[in-house]
Amino acid sequence: MGTENCRDCESTAEAVERLERIYEYLDGALSRDDIGEVQNHLSDCPECASDYDLECLIRSVVKRSCTEQAPETLKLTIIQRISQIKIEARH
Amino acid sequence: MVLTSMNVAVLDRPAKYQAVGVDSDVMSERPAPASTLSEEIDVSAETDAARRTRFESEALQYVDQLYSAAMRMTRNPQDAEDLVQEAYTKAYSAFHQYRPGTNLKAWLYRILTNTYINIYRKKQRQPLQANTDTVEDWQMAQAAEHTSSGLRSAEAEALDHLPDNDVKEALQQIPEEFRLAVYFSDVEGFAYKEIAEILNIPIGTVMSRLHRGRKLLRSLLSEYARERGFTRGKES
Repeated sequence: MGTENCRDCESTAEAVERLERIYEYLDGALSRDDIGEVQNHLSDCPECASDYDLECLIRSVVKRSCTEQAPETLKLTIIQRISQIKIEARH
Repeated sequence: MVLTSMNVAVLDRPAKYQAVGVDSDVMSERPAPASTLSEEIDVSAETDAARRTRFESEALQYVDQLYSAAMRMTRNPQDAEDLVQEAYTKAYSAFHQYRPGTNLKAWLYRILTNTYINIYRKKQRQPLQANTDTVEDWQMAQAAEHTSSGLRSAEAEALDHLPDNDVKEALQQIPEEFRLAVYFSDVEGFAYKEIAEILNIPIGTVMSRLHRGRKLLRSLLSEYARERGFTRGKES
């Protein structure tokens, strides 16, 4: 698994393009036709399917790792600061 | 500091950022970020007290999320706290410009990003674009090759169990403008159009930054996972 290039890709540039299609597919940025095309390819090509799995894994790992909790005091400090602001823009 | 209308007005002009080659119907299939819908409000007739109550109930729920993003920008908790405070202060001052019913979280992120660029990046005297050209094409090509990016199952497992700090470190290593795009997409699930508005760049630029950032991140994370996987394998 993952030791050979996608059989449909004849060049590195093509492989890059295919990977980018997987990104766009996951980003929800493809048209219906393109979605169908990507899904067909993924079901036929174990190499790209493994790339797809890896991309899903990366996204879930990034999301998991970057969820932080702000210090308890931050919200209170903000409330205090905005209570001192007098809005002048309307006058 | 005074928030200029330029800083926040862009979100009021979504038509300017029409997707190129992107089917908007399809884009909307991605779950939309939760947003609090306001009832019809005449913001010009609102009292200061009413506005503050509305701001506190609608905007403050995003403090943790903005803080997480601020940590990816400033890298340290104190600066992240200061940045979020500053952004909220500006957002409140400009809250009359926010159109109820539009994406409040994206609006706040846009202010956070502008505040970061205006204050912190100036302090560091580094333009946001500084690192773009240092990412060589070969790095991009390498990341796309199955041989270097495809992980064996043991490595995929190592990636899955990678400590949070390794992942943050890997993110921190990719150039900032790529990092923020990837962060907004992967962590917040913003669509290209929303990221374009937050970063004030064209959609095409969002896509190329995302593509480049993702390939770099993939290489880096694969490296970390291989190291971890290898170490674990040797230990057992």
